[in-house]
Amino acid sequence: MLFQTTPAHEELRAKIRQFAENEIKPIAFLLDQNNEFPDEAIRHLGEMGLMGIPYPVEYGGAGLDALSYAIAVEELARVDGGAGVILSAHVSLGSWPIFAYGSEEQKKKYLVPLARGEKIGAFGLTEPNAGSDAGGTETTAVLKGDYYLLNGNKIFITNAPKADTYVIFAVTTPDIGTRGISAFIVEKGWEGFSYGDHYDKMGIRSSATAELIFNNVKVPKENLLGKEGDGFKIAMATLDGGRIGIAAQALGIAQGAFEHAIAHAKERVQFGKPIAFQQAISFKIADMATKLRCARFLIYSAAELKEHHEPYGMESAMAKQYASDIALEVTNDALQIFGGSGYLKGMEVERAYRDAKITTIYEGTNEIQRVVIASHLIGKPPKTSSDGGKNLKKPAPITGLRKKQLFQEGPAADRVAALVAALRKDGYDFSVGIPIDTPIAEAERVVSAGKGIGAKENMKLIEALAIQAGAAVGSSRPVAESLKYLPLNRYVGMSGQKFSGNLYIACGISGAVQHLKGIKDAATIVAINRDINAPIFKNCDYGIVGDLMEILPLLTAALDNGEAKAPAPPMIKMKRPAPPRPAPIGKTYVCLGCGYRYDPELGDPENGIAPGTLFEKLPEDWVCPECSTAKKYFVAES
Amino acid sequence: MYCVRHVTEDLYWVGANDHRLTLFENIHPIPRGVSYNAYLLLDERTVLFDTVDWSACRQLLENLEHLLAGRALDYLVINHMEPDHGASLEEVLLRWPNAGIIATEKAFMLMRQFGFQIDGHEQIEVKEGDTRCFGRHTVTFISAPMVHWPEAMATLDLTSGALFSADAFGSFGALDGKLFNDEVNFDRDWLDDARRYYTNIVGKYGPQVQVLLKKAGAVLSQIKIICPLHGPVWRSDLEYLIGKYNLWSRYEPEEKGVMIAYASMYGNTEAAAQSLAARLCDKGMHRVVLYDVSNTHVSTLISEAFKYSHLVLASVTYNLGIYPVMHSFLSDMKALNLQKRTVALVENGSWACKSGDLMQKFIENELKNMTVLGERLSMASSLRPDRSAELEALANAILESLADAAK
Repeated sequence: MLFQTTPAHEELRAKIRQFAENEIKPIAFLLDQNNEFPDEAIRHLGEMGLMGIPYPVEYGGAGLDALSYAIAVEELARVDGGAGVILSAHVSLGSWPIFAYGSEEQKKKYLVPLARGEKIGAFGLTEPNAGSDAGGTETTAVLKGDYYLLNGNKIFITNAPKADTYVIFAVTTPDIGTRGISAFIVEKGWEGFSYGDHYDKMGIRSSATAELIFNNVKVPKENLLGKEGDGFKIAMATLDGGRIGIAAQALGIAQGAFEHAIAHAKERVQFGKPIAFQQAISFKIADMATKLRCARFLIYSAAELKEHHEPYGMESAMAKQYASDIALEVTNDALQIFGGSGYLKGMEVERAYRDAKITTIYEGTNEIQRVVIASHLIGKPPKTSSDGGKNLKKPAPITGLRKKQLFQEGPAADRVAALVAALRKDGYDFSVGIPIDTPIAEAERVVSAGKGIGAKENMKLIEALAIQAGAAVGSSRPVAESLKYLPLNRYVGMSGQKFSGNLYIACGISGAVQHLKGIKDAATIVAINRDINAPIFKNCDYGIVGDLMEILPLLTAALDNGEAKAPAPPMIKMKRPAPPRPAPIGKTYVCLGCGYRYDPELGDPENGIAPGTLFEKLPEDWVCPECSTAKKYFVAES
Repeated sequence: MYCVRHVTEDLYWVGANDHRLTLFENIHPIPRGVSYNAYLLLDERTVLFDTVDWSACRQLLENLEHLLAGRALDYLVINHMEPDHGASLEEVLLRWPNAGIIATEKAFMLMRQFGFQIDGHEQIEVKEGDTRCFGRHTVTFISAPMVHWPEAMATLDLTSGALFSADAFGSFGALDGKLFNDEVNFDRDWLDDARRYYTNIVGKYGPQVQVLLKKAGAVLSQIKIICPLHGPVWRSDLEYLIGKYNLWSRYEPEEKGVMIAYASMYGNTEAAAQSLAARLCDKGMHRVVLYDVSNTHVSTLISEAFKYSHLVLASVTYNLGIYPVMHSFLSDMKALNLQKRTVALVENGSWACKSGDLMQKFIENELKNMTVLGERLSMASSLRPDRSAELEALANAILESLADAAK
């Protein structure tokens, strides 16, 4: 055994390397700068038959092995980390679940165009409250005869909005955790399926990443992948394989940076010789090469195991974890070897340094990879609680207790009038106002624009509303950061300005967690959005579901008293009820023998009952720890 | 001299009144005294239902000797073995050595623990649903665990409809001749003591009382008279009493109103509390009561907290903590399971005002189903007129919450 790839593998490598050097390398810096997807290059990759490498020819694939696929990702990532993940997400995440779990019809309809590269695939699992822990999935799919009604949103979705075919995970049976999750094939363009933010990422900027929003999307029953309840199993199996792709991507990024570093070290002369021959640098190079070889063998071996249907879950986790960890180290060393010039935009090592970071995060953080590896070695941990150690309390809304009063009845003008009446009743005086450029942190009122505002000229509507509402103008992060409609110091959110005044009017803001955290102290939150599923509506006092172009002018007119606003008096902060405490996980029971109370959040650790164990789940032979009365002589507290 | 009253066919009250005891259970003040009720059934067999406190034993013995008039006492039914009812057991057994004892398994255990010599007497262990015939009268036993002791049971005389309810439906206050609820003005003279008795003695065991009330509900039509171990015997308007118990045991308030409890060292917190009370009354909310926690016994505070829907806790900061007496009130609320109240907080502190945060934390973490209003009134040393708007806001918030509660 020589631990070598076959000549066929190396031929494939050469072919992809040529493609990458010719078609991606020249535009890589541009893609990075402009946050731009390489449409043309990816189309070409499909034509070359490289978008379905590990799938059988009969399904439009190249009929090659898993190792060939890993090599392809590695070679793309070697010149551009983003390009690497486009392929990895397409093959491993968007296509593989259909290949492995799809019916014959589903494979013909969806896998074939994916494998041929005619369509791009993506995978939607992550949500605001479900990342490493898929049990927190909140997207729902409710069966309505011959279709499922899909509602919810998915974040950080690689290849969205470019992808045509999405494998989406949603809860079909609530309250039973991961066993209630099912997988669906969802097509781009279906009614109610839209995209949120295209994220402005640190690295892999040529790869598209966006939020998916499902608003009453009708998914035909035949697009259920596998059986109901199989979702979690499908997701985990998919991620097992996906790790090989991400590991290969990390390896490629590191390999590219390494090659640049060696070339530079041989060229750059200091103290009379190329720095490569300074021991400090030569040792670095030796270490980098050793790490790369280790990573490569881990990845190739995992791919081979997969190809030969051997268990490979632990090995692929090791490959992903190790390759991405060393990718950070290798790109860091490569940039260090470049010195100051490596710190400049346009330098490949600078881009590789940024591109590498995501590989320790996505498709299972490296912390989760270690959980996976350890679980293969030492089994499942002793149960700490019946729900697997999740939060014992159900989370409360981020912005606390809100009225959540939506004005939905009647024509738009009536809804706006009802909103204004409610605000006046709460004590808002719209004859006074503050300058629209008042710093957010000092403002008593803010009218804030989200991406729903659309074109830049619509910001005029926001300003007009702010003037009539006596408010300052703010925005969500993307509006300031990506669209640049406002200076960066005017976006509201956890990472931006915190609003702690009284009235916050969110226009076209969906309500990302980081945004909501920035407004949780607001006395009153008003939401105007066309998507009734937007999280902002769960976090607002008043809401109007409707089009901004229609609602904003009406609201502006309704607040206009025909006179200039008088200067507002010093702010009097309106007080709000404290946020509700998290709901208990289950009923408490009291003992009829002594009055002892069993609280499921506390459990009975002295007798081996973990915190979080519901009374109903206590073993039948459990007795009162105080007086030994049997379980059946307990009564529930109301 | 004997002192007995006829209750119903063949049944007599043979208990005693106590005006000498200052503290019931050595903790709760009883300025109106207390009665220890015991009942004697003169059937073909003679049956004593419970005994009395040791201090009242002589009276019980005189009453029994008078009514038995030379007959033997055949049985003693012990519904509740707490010493204010069980302590005279041994003396009764010494006088009537052939009496048998009827009680639950746990009651027999407690008799032995307290050191009563019961060996040599017939011991009839009964459980839920057992019946026993004494001639004309047949009784059935209803277990009432943890109302408020584990051995407690109630006994229902199926013939006369008398329910011997142990401590349930009892009250502080000596009877002083009057025995029946229709012989007193209960709402005026007894309800406060009945509530104070229930909430402080049985308050913690709401769920267990609910279990007992459900059982009682099933045989309600058979119950004609309720014979508790303290306070008046009920022979009319049973729904009134059961209704009160249903509210108390579900921790539902009797009144939509405001109890203001303040802890004040030099009168400044007190002044704020008074001012708040005046504002509430000014705005038409007259169901307002005000207590100084330093000179009101905590059993009264607890009783009032069970009565009213809204609490205002006004406390000075003391050694960077909650004023100790207020803290003791809060601890008692926790111990007695008080819940489902809306609380407004007033805090005072001259250099580091902590009491509001600490009270809020206690209420939210230690008590169940409580709502704390966001409009907290804070003052540094004293409330000055320039804070009038905040006092107004607090009063309005309380009124608004009361209005919501009324919906």
